[in-house]
Amino acid sequence: MDSLNKISITCFAASYFVALILELSRLLTKAEPFASPWRRALKIGFVSAGLFAHSVYLVLHGGVSLNVQGIWLGNWFTWCLATSWLLGAAYLWMAIRKHESGVGLFLLPLMLVLIWIGLQFGNANQFTASNARTAWNMIHGASLLLGTAMVTLGCTFGIVYLIQAKRLKQKTISSGAFRLPSLEWLQQSSERSLLVSTILMGMGLISGIAINQVPGDGQMGVGVIAWSNPVIWTSGVLFLWLLVATLFNLFYRPARQGRKVAYLVMASFLFLVLELAIVWWVGHAT
Amino acid sequence: MNVNLQIVGCSHHQSNVSVREKLAFTPQQVAPFLKAYYDQFPQSEAVLLSTCNRTEFYVAGKEPSLLPSQDEMISLLAAERGLKIGDIEQGLFSYRDREAIRHLFFVTASLDSMVIGETQILAQVKQAYQLAVESNQSIPLTHHVFQSAIRVARRVSNETDLHSTRVSVPSVAIGVLAKQIFERLDNKKILILGAGDMAEETLRYVVDEGGRDVVVINRTTATAEKLAAKFNGRVVPWSDLQRALVAADLIISTTGATEPVVTSALFEVVERARGEKPLFILDLAVPRDFESEIGDRTNVYLYTLDDLQRECERNMQSRKSHLAKAELILEQETDSFLVDAARRSSGATIAQLKLQADEVKEVELKRLMNKLDLTPAQRQEIEYSFNRLVNKILHPPLKSLQEDTGESHHGLLDALKRLFQLGD
Repeated sequence: MDSLNKISITCFAASYFVALILELSRLLTKAEPFASPWRRALKIGFVSAGLFAHSVYLVLHGGVSLNVQGIWLGNWFTWCLATSWLLGAAYLWMAIRKHESGVGLFLLPLMLVLIWIGLQFGNANQFTASNARTAWNMIHGASLLLGTAMVTLGCTFGIVYLIQAKRLKQKTISSGAFRLPSLEWLQQSSERSLLVSTILMGMGLISGIAINQVPGDGQMGVGVIAWSNPVIWTSGVLFLWLLVATLFNLFYRPARQGRKVAYLVMASFLFLVLELAIVWWVGHAT
Repeated sequence: MNVNLQIVGCSHHQSNVSVREKLAFTPQQVAPFLKAYYDQFPQSEAVLLSTCNRTEFYVAGKEPSLLPSQDEMISLLAAERGLKIGDIEQGLFSYRDREAIRHLFFVTASLDSMVIGETQILAQVKQAYQLAVESNQSIPLTHHVFQSAIRVARRVSNETDLHSTRVSVPSVAIGVLAKQIFERLDNKKILILGAGDMAEETLRYVVDEGGRDVVVINRTTATAEKLAAKFNGRVVPWSDLQRALVAADLIISTTGATEPVVTSALFEVVERARGEKPLFILDLAVPRDFESEIGDRTNVYLYTLDDLQRECERNMQSRKSHLAKAELILEQETDSFLVDAARRSSGATIAQLKLQADEVKEVELKRLMNKLDLTPAQRQEIEYSFNRLVNKILHPPLKSLQEDTGESHHGLLDALKRLFQLGD
């Protein structure tokens, strides 16, 4: 247990950084020792090790607690680290399932940036929500966290789609060139992330309203947060945007095709960043 | 195991197509040829490799005296194809032993091919070996050489990028580009405009990659039906072109039309009906079938023959850059094969020599023990001394034999046999 306590942010950030270097090495050379099978094994190894250290750190130092009631996040620092962890898990899944997908080039820097942002917040200012451990609080926190990760993932797929489409248009793709996933896969993944993030954000919004309406045993209860509070209405606008984007995507055929999906998921991410900035600015949840 | 390998043959390096086609054998013609060979040289082994770029006649035997001479091999080939020796002699090459093994390794690994790195040759070498086995079940020498060649070819493939790049237009179009757009082809609608050779070759790659829903449109319906039948496709009349363009995900166009078949104006109508669904167009026709402005539309990826040929040329250059590593592997493997063959061939002689020395030692030991009254410990000490003596005497010649894997190896082996009066 002592050795686990010694795990620091440097441990997993360094692992992700090495994985990023391995991804970057694909741009430069296909030669030994970074030939495909070795590079892939090393990449998976480093990200797995990073995720293990990341998990341990979140539990021991990050304020994440797991108990019979569910999972709890401590503060903004933990929020950023947990989002980074979710993106890392998604990346590991892709590295195993979609060999040489190239998405890591975009996801790994995002993960590192999230860790850096978390460090800027500092490991203090506990969420007061942790003092009121109701089921609604847990659903609220978990669905917003997962929704954030899904929107970020969708945005990454959207960006990669646009890059891949540009390469194909400019006819710069060759056999030996750096490979990205197919346009079809990127489009489908963007659509799925849009749909899932809408559901999760909807759950987050509904559970937030429930916390505000249902008297609990903590400080939360009816009218704790005024309906005119920017957090409430920006959350509503974000959810509405995601809902419209999803419905647009589901029922308007041309919107399902190609670049439009990419633009929708990227716009969703911008909305999310705006929403999170407002939440942080008004001090919601702290 | 002595491997005396000899080759006579022709390939695209030395012979033009007129010579190669005269010497080409179909798989059905190989068995009668090998039968005729075994009638004359029953104590040897033979393999005939015949592709569109080469015909190579391999013979192997335990002793050189059991093999036909190069002239006899040429006359066998000429007789079988009904040619005069003088008609083909100039365009033929021949190799023996190390050079022959090296050549087979280079051929199988596709370093001797017209398109370096092409993968078809490995299957053709395997087929040639299989035909040889069908003609003669007992071919241990050629088995060893050909299996080694196949293993070495796989090593080259695994350890270099020689085979990883594609060099033909259809393989680049489908194997590289289509995969960048589509995750899978089995649920895509594939439209073929034209029904010529290029359409068929490209379609073969499409089907290999999983494409199933194939529609062929051609001005001559009979040709379209013939092509569609080969790939379980459907034929649609030319009048339905617009509808077929709306439905398609991948279009392969190879018509011989002198004017564009799909104009910008026609495509504008098509695009409205498609709902901006991405479309991959391979315009392999010269002159082009699709007006170039069509490629400017957002979700259309239009590639012409020129675009693909540039990629093929880049890939060919890339393959050439991997040649040095592949050649090094093949040279090492050739040497390693010869060392191994030398060890195998001298193994029986070494065992025989040791046995003979042991017999002499046992006779002398027995004679000595009968004359002396010794304790068990003393007997044991004398036995050890005799063993050490025999080993020390045999060590230098055996070491020389094992270390010599060059051309003098057979001479040394013969000398050893004669000096110590060892039988075959």
